[in-house]
Amino acid sequence: MGSQSSHIDFALIGHQDSWKKITGFIEFLTKGKRKLTESQAAEVYSFIPPRAVFDIEVRSITGQTVRGSYIETFISPDELGLRYWKRNMFKVQEAAACARQLNAAVATLGGFTSIVLEGRDDSLNDGSYTKFTTGNTLTAAFIVRNLEKACRRFGKELGDQQLLVIGATGDIGSACLEYFSRKVKKVLLCARQQVILDALAAKLQRQGIAAQASTDIRQLLPQADLVIAIASSTIENFVPELCKKDIIICDAGYPKNLVFDLKGYFSDRLFSGGMGQVQGGYSFTPEIHHSFYHFPVECVGHGCLQEAVILAFENMHEPFSTGKGNITLEKMDRIYALANKHGIRESPLFNPLMAWD
Amino acid sequence: MQTAISTDQKTRDFWLAATDILSQAINGEIVGMSNFALLTGTIDDVHEKMECVEHANCERNHAMGFMEIATKFNLPVLINQDGRFWKKVKETFARWAAKKDFIGCILIQEVILECFAVSMYHDVGMALKDNEAGQLFLAIAKEEEEHIEHSIDLLRAELEKDAAGFLEKAEAVHYDCMTIMAEWSVIRSCDDSCGICAGDCMKERLYAVELDIRSLRGNAMNLYMKTLDRIGVPGVKSLEWVANLPI
Repeated sequence: MGSQSSHIDFALIGHQDSWKKITGFIEFLTKGKRKLTESQAAEVYSFIPPRAVFDIEVRSITGQTVRGSYIETFISPDELGLRYWKRNMFKVQEAAACARQLNAAVATLGGFTSIVLEGRDDSLNDGSYTKFTTGNTLTAAFIVRNLEKACRRFGKELGDQQLLVIGATGDIGSACLEYFSRKVKKVLLCARQQVILDALAAKLQRQGIAAQASTDIRQLLPQADLVIAIASSTIENFVPELCKKDIIICDAGYPKNLVFDLKGYFSDRLFSGGMGQVQGGYSFTPEIHHSFYHFPVECVGHGCLQEAVILAFENMHEPFSTGKGNITLEKMDRIYALANKHGIRESPLFNPLMAWD
Repeated sequence: MQTAISTDQKTRDFWLAATDILSQAINGEIVGMSNFALLTGTIDDVHEKMECVEHANCERNHAMGFMEIATKFNLPVLINQDGRFWKKVKETFARWAAKKDFIGCILIQEVILECFAVSMYHDVGMALKDNEAGQLFLAIAKEEEEHIEHSIDLLRAELEKDAAGFLEKAEAVHYDCMTIMAEWSVIRSCDDSCGICAGDCMKERLYAVELDIRSLRGNAMNLYMKTLDRIGVPGVKSLEWVANLPI
């Protein structure tokens, strides 16, 4: 385990999105001696303090190798809502302290945990050795590339499409809008806060971009040809019957459970977004892929986590992605080019049920 | 279907819960006192022996403090050192003391038992913070916390001397003693009487003092794991140990 070394190249801070993965992990950890039911796991899980649970080695196509640790926050998949905000913030801070203790050169905040760095005060990057990044720039870069790939697959010209972004005012959502707003016919914006949403729509309209906003997804869904969904919880009122038959959906939320929420609708037109594939491969010690981090496609992982890996490969020990609304197209291009240099590319199209190819 | 609980019932449950909580605390402190007294036999150094007696006296004072509160509020606390769980804890400690295993004894008393004491006293103290009993729980939690702090340096040094040997011992102590504490705090009512609670299992009445066994136990395990982290036990190891405990 990384705690025994004096320095590691990177740390990945994250949380689990399903009780199934958690019970699998506990079973692995106890060498099969302990089989908890999901409700038993729920009784104890969130009380566990954050800690490094396995080491990771990632290999670049340049021949370089970087080593790091995965730090689990033990934030419960059922407690991602605002009600648990304070408690979760505390857990992320504790996980960040673990990364510092491991002397990680760079650490990324995966999934929900990134909200700590998306606030106004970047208290994590306070001068300590470890630099923290949200990883959102690479996630956004992978989302947009994969959506373009999916459009090409179905013969859709971007200029003819109406793009709905769910979570449009968030860090990744606004980066995707920045990328696509001048490429598509119209952008449809959905988010929870009306005032911010209206301001965003007005700003786009002033720039001559066709934009329509609503907090009610039902107002927008019938018009959408493409959807990027970046939500950290179930999207209410995502009614499949309201959608066009040839819609393409990119589920870039965390957890990526839209395919289940839609109960099988569009499973061949819905893909997990923001994921990258590591051509050089990666490995975990102990080897726990099958119970913890398993996808229908080999060697894929979350873009937000891979951003720290890229920064480690490049010795760029810096908070590459912080704050909200700071992702520029230049930064997306830069991190994407660096990722490609190390053989990390947007993943083949897949969703939790199937690989498209 | 959930049935509404009347105010009278809640008041009754409040006092019953308070009585059982005090009974558990008193018995736990007396076990701590006895453990430290026994520990003196494992120590050759006179000064350390005296310090150990001092610790025993400290636990005695805590027990006395809880007893006084019980008397003041006229709560019929039960002192029973043959109670199912506390008896097992005492016997376990005695086995490690008989082996003259000072480190094993410290792990039981200063890490496992004190983590439960500090965390649970703190939670009870916060729940009852508006009255004298709550203040006493908070004050004793603070004193017990110092015991943990005191042991961390000692145990860390021990781990640095022989990591493999220390981890083997800590694991054995964990399964020996923490299993008992986990059974005691299992997240459901005890099937048989523990010999300490006055009536049914107190876990059913914790709601009346705005507490629940899930949080009490979870917070205690959290402190235990953090304490092991600070001693230098690899996080994944303590996670495995805790994952194997009864829930």
